[in-house]
Amino acid sequence: MSTEDALIKLGESTAEAAAGLLEMFAPGKVELGGVAVVPGDANPLEGLSVPAVATSVSYIDGVTGGNVLVLPLEGARLLAAAMMGMEQPEEPDAPALSELELSAVAEAANQMMAGAAGSTSSVLGTEVEISPPETRTFAALSEAAGAYPHTPHAVRISFTVCGEPCRLVQLVPNAFVVRMTRALDELDAEVHDPAPRDAAEAGSQASPSGPSLAGIPVRVWAELGRTQMPSAELVGLPSGAVVELDRQADEPIEVYVNGTLFATGRLMVVDGTDWAVRIETVRQHPNPEGETEVARWPESW
Amino acid sequence: MARVLVVDDAAFMRKLVSDVLIKGGHEVVGEAGNGTEAVDRYAELRPEVTTLDITMPEKDGLAALREIIQLDPAARVVMCSALGQETKVLESIKAGAKDFVVKPFQAERVLEAVGKALA
Repeated sequence: MSTEDALIKLGESTAEAAAGLLEMFAPGKVELGGVAVVPGDANPLEGLSVPAVATSVSYIDGVTGGNVLVLPLEGARLLAAAMMGMEQPEEPDAPALSELELSAVAEAANQMMAGAAGSTSSVLGTEVEISPPETRTFAALSEAAGAYPHTPHAVRISFTVCGEPCRLVQLVPNAFVVRMTRALDELDAEVHDPAPRDAAEAGSQASPSGPSLAGIPVRVWAELGRTQMPSAELVGLPSGAVVELDRQADEPIEVYVNGTLFATGRLMVVDGTDWAVRIETVRQHPNPEGETEVARWPESW
Repeated sequence: MARVLVVDDAAFMRKLVSDVLIKGGHEVVGEAGNGTEAVDRYAELRPEVTTLDITMPEKDGLAALREIIQLDPAARVVMCSALGQETKVLESIKAGAKDFVVKPFQAERVLEAVGKALA
């Protein structure tokens, strides 16, 4: 995966989390625009109107990098009003935002970045923590350009709040891109690599992929069923609690190989003590166009 | 109805949580904007329930939670954070929090958590 692809992937997952959150605060007033990689020498904030309110949240531990949410004064004011359940701002003509309005915008950025940190964590497989938000108001774009550390990469996410063009800028250091590219490549390989099938068939017939792939160890697991619950309910489960799954006892269970649905079968006991699965139906060879059903827990839910 | 201390670094969130609690029939006895203030206000006010944000300047909510529990092992604390990551939830519950509300939240969820902490 190229650096540009990884940056766009990162931007898209953040954009989704951000838009979803803003939509909750300001229903029907958020429109997501494009995600673009900012060329090395360009100002990622170019084209925005000033004065603007910028809230930055940086990653701590796990990953170095940061995100800046920039809203023109008018957009910030309208977002804050929407968050407080008001149709119109209290003081629409004030030259600056009130402390409460600034705090609302900062909280929106904070919750946005917490959501994005969650999805980045699951891609990278490491916990990503975020710092408390810092908010400032810029009178000119040139001021904003020097206000944040320069990183080799930046991604620009455009959207509008109440019709006002806003921007979320991700400041991305090299180390992050390397880890992200690697993690996404691994994820891709788990999803699309047909090698596990070949390896599994190698015992009885010649593998079409050649002998070099026949010995690759693959992870095989069986899934009885699934459910979803709020995290707070989960941690509050007492021992002895019964968690119902989504599958009937007489339905077949699923067998996954390296994350791909491979077969369905029946759960059984062998030697009187060990669980086993009797395979009933082996799925057709995974379609490269992407029709395979994948257990990418937990993103697939 | 309970006497509640509301802790969050964002004034907006303190207002939002306080409004929800007051509408739900509770009394907000104090507010704090960071972990250090939270511990001080707890010692001073001895609220029946405390809502505690995690990502805060100076001292984060988890550190504050541990100090509050040390001060008063029977403290009823509800975490209220945008960081819904599993480890944060588990760490909080292990450290003695009664419940964990993930932001953005619904008003009923906050009231339910406070009600549960009181039970």
